[in-house]
Amino acid sequence: MPLIQVIRERLIAFLFPAESDRWLSILRVGLGIQVIAYAWSARADWVELFARSSSGFGNRELTEVILSVQSPFAPRLGWLVSMGKYLGVSEAIVLWTAWSCLLCAGVFLLFGLFSRPAAVTAWFLHLCAVKSEQLLTYGMDNFTTIGLFYLMLAPLPDRLAVDVHLWRTPMGDPQSLGFWRRVLQIHLCFIYFFAGIAKSLSLEWWTGTSIWRALTSTPYDLISPQVLVSWKYLLPVVGSAICLLETGYPLFIWPKKTRTFWLASVISMHVAIGLTMGLYLFAFIMIVLNGAGFVPELVRRRDS
Amino acid sequence: MSRKGVLAGFFILHFSLIFLVSTRQVLFGLAEGNTLLPSSWSPVLARLVGIATTALAENLAPENLIRRGIAGYTHSTGIDTGYAYFAPNVAISHKLVFEVKYPDGRVEYDLPHVGGEATGLRLVLLFDNIARIRYDVLRETLFRMMAFSIWLEHPDASVVRVVFGVVDLPSVSDFEHGKRESYEVLYAYDFRFSPPAPPVSP
Repeated sequence: MPLIQVIRERLIAFLFPAESDRWLSILRVGLGIQVIAYAWSARADWVELFARSSSGFGNRELTEVILSVQSPFAPRLGWLVSMGKYLGVSEAIVLWTAWSCLLCAGVFLLFGLFSRPAAVTAWFLHLCAVKSEQLLTYGMDNFTTIGLFYLMLAPLPDRLAVDVHLWRTPMGDPQSLGFWRRVLQIHLCFIYFFAGIAKSLSLEWWTGTSIWRALTSTPYDLISPQVLVSWKYLLPVVGSAICLLETGYPLFIWPKKTRTFWLASVISMHVAIGLTMGLYLFAFIMIVLNGAGFVPELVRRRDS
Repeated sequence: MSRKGVLAGFFILHFSLIFLVSTRQVLFGLAEGNTLLPSSWSPVLARLVGIATTALAENLAPENLIRRGIAGYTHSTGIDTGYAYFAPNVAISHKLVFEVKYPDGRVEYDLPHVGGEATGLRLVLLFDNIARIRYDVLRETLFRMMAFSIWLEHPDASVVRVVFGVVDLPSVSDFEHGKRESYEVLYAYDFRFSPPAPPVSP
């Protein structure tokens, strides 16, 4: 067989492995909880953040002007507000409707009811909100967008979704399921590799200085500096472990011998980030993405 | 083209963009120095940043369709930024304080406040973004809006001064020797607001 043919077949086998839909159930349920938690946590400031007349910290109009310079095609709440204005609906009603629809989309995703429309709605409304408060966004928002984008394109519904039992919707093709899981897995490898390599090239991560700075900076300073000082000899160990764990992720997450350890370590790292820095939603989305990407592999191995 | 071919094409394009965006962010951080790499590498790293920027079509005119298309795609898929969080070094913290001055000479101090804890967390990111803004007018506009929200709570105030600065955190050994965080002012702006004039009766 010619070499090119061999490479092509191996590439296809790698990109389109036959896969069950367990990972998709984890992604759907996890993102459903994430979207609900995001909407619920933003409810107190929703109108203050996005209203045109807002005098506060995240003026939507200004943010959307900056966004238009970067990308006029990126979705934003301003589109919905303009549509509402055309139809004679007030800005406040449009904003609260968007918030309610986002929350409902999260609930629907959680149960797997109208899975595809719910995934598209959640992706669009979450993206609109995130882009309209661009100056206030952080990694958690990007990872939620990434997860929702893949969920929206993946072959929904999965076997645990209510859709399957209510409407007898046919399940997705195993190779298509395998392709979208592969995309998620490789994306996770990119994420950790670049995060790890950027940290590893700084001495401050190996000496523990960066851990100290991260844990004592407002608003991540949940642990008092006095307590941290008493554990100061652990700081370089933790800093070095993070560098190794993240940079080594693309290498050690694939072999069966190291996968369980690496996955457990990365999930533990995110649990620790959530608990010690108060970044609960960030920790949760990373656990969900890792769970969807690699946990079903472990489950399947145990099953077999 | 077969369905697998389309998906494989998507795969290559999607991950090429992720690679370019992520590489550029890492190289940009490294080019700024204060890493394990020799400082003599900075010009080369900066040149590589330029190459990645060109590959992402960001050197084209803002109205160019290719540039707009790539930017629209990266923004919509959540891949418009890289993954170098807290890297190569943890960023300096910033702080914002309002000095509310009254006509009788009284001065009150206020801090930014929001309704929910989750939004409070985001304020820090806003401060970091403000610190990166190179356009004075944009920075001043943001501060003016914040000052206005404070003035609404103190309508008798004559001046709202916005003081923005960096928080200097002590190192572990400095902390053990009693040093605590200090504050260095970067920018201070004075804003005056007046209530809207009452409607004139005919």
